[in-house]
Amino acid sequence: EFRFGPCRVEGVALPGLWEAFRTVKDAVQVQDNNTSIRLLRCEVLQNVSDSESCHLVHDLLKFYLNTVFKHYYPKIAESNTQPSFSTLANNFVFIVSKLQSSQAGEMPPDKDRARRRFLLFKRAFKQLEIQAALTKAFGEVDILLTWMGKFYQL
Amino acid sequence: MKNVLHWNPPENLQGVEVTYTVQYFIYGQKRWLNKPECKNISRTYCDLSDETSDYEHQYYAKVKAIWETNCSKWTETGRFYPFLETQIGPPEIALTTDEKSISIVLTAPDKWKSNPEDCTISMRQIYSNLKYNVSIYNIKSKRMWSQCVTNHTLVLSWLEPKTLYCVQVESFVPGPLRPAQPSQKQCISTLEDPTSALK
Repeated sequence: EFRFGPCRVEGVALPGLWEAFRTVKDAVQVQDNNTSIRLLRCEVLQNVSDSESCHLVHDLLKFYLNTVFKHYYPKIAESNTQPSFSTLANNFVFIVSKLQSSQAGEMPPDKDRARRRFLLFKRAFKQLEIQAALTKAFGEVDILLTWMGKFYQL
Repeated sequence: MKNVLHWNPPENLQGVEVTYTVQYFIYGQKRWLNKPECKNISRTYCDLSDETSDYEHQYYAKVKAIWETNCSKWTETGRFYPFLETQIGPPEIALTTDEKSISIVLTAPDKWKSNPEDCTISMRQIYSNLKYNVSIYNIKSKRMWSQCVTNHTLVLSWLEPKTLYCVQVESFVPGPLRPAQPSQKQCISTLEDPTSALK
């Protein structure tokens, strides 16, 4: 179960997400030639409070679904990594749907701080050429899952 | 987190004196960095533990061979993420017993230190969701069972008196699969049940 502050998400097997990413990690990360840029920097993910975490994970996963996975999919549609890609995407869809139902009535201040963190990530993404940005963001799913793992309880 | 870069010597240079130079890179930063202790070395490994000690960062390393007046291209690693790829050692185990139960106290392993003078950091401080897989063997009945434990104590109850039990423990963190490193088996015998002696 994930516990992002007040938001609970049950029914996601984190090891399954890891296994899915493990199979694509090397292939994706080797295509990232901008190694001097990290999108999910420490300022985005470090010292996130519990109450911020629900907003931040919601914004990040929605961005991954609506931008990263959506536009990256054509690259892997025919490849053998497609099943792993689908596992990641479908689990992100599930988590976002659960978060949306939890988020009603959250206090504004946490939303603003979380929003500022997300915008740091999004601004860095926008500064790159789109294909390079998609590859880099997808290659950083291990950083995203590592951060999410801190809110995961067996 | 002991992180050592290893490589194989070039195949076609047997008998030729070859030296190697290593550099490393922190993902998201600007420049490749030198490791002075691994410049023009003849061994085929380089300890980058200190350089990769910030386990929340990701790293690359590269090595090139130099021989006579020549030098090879750089050979580069993939992106290395210590936080995910570290192998976590087993905990320390302390066992105490009475007639029908065994108390197990587990102490999380410590982070590897390159300098013994450095302060000790428990792996639990790094992995807050560190857990243990405890396997218990009843030597008499040859029965074995396992339990996943989150905190550091576990009491096994309803055991058979005067019976040898062995315990083996692995540390693990929910997330990507890591090679497990089980502890040594530790054994202890439950005490004799005094009431059975009176019959």
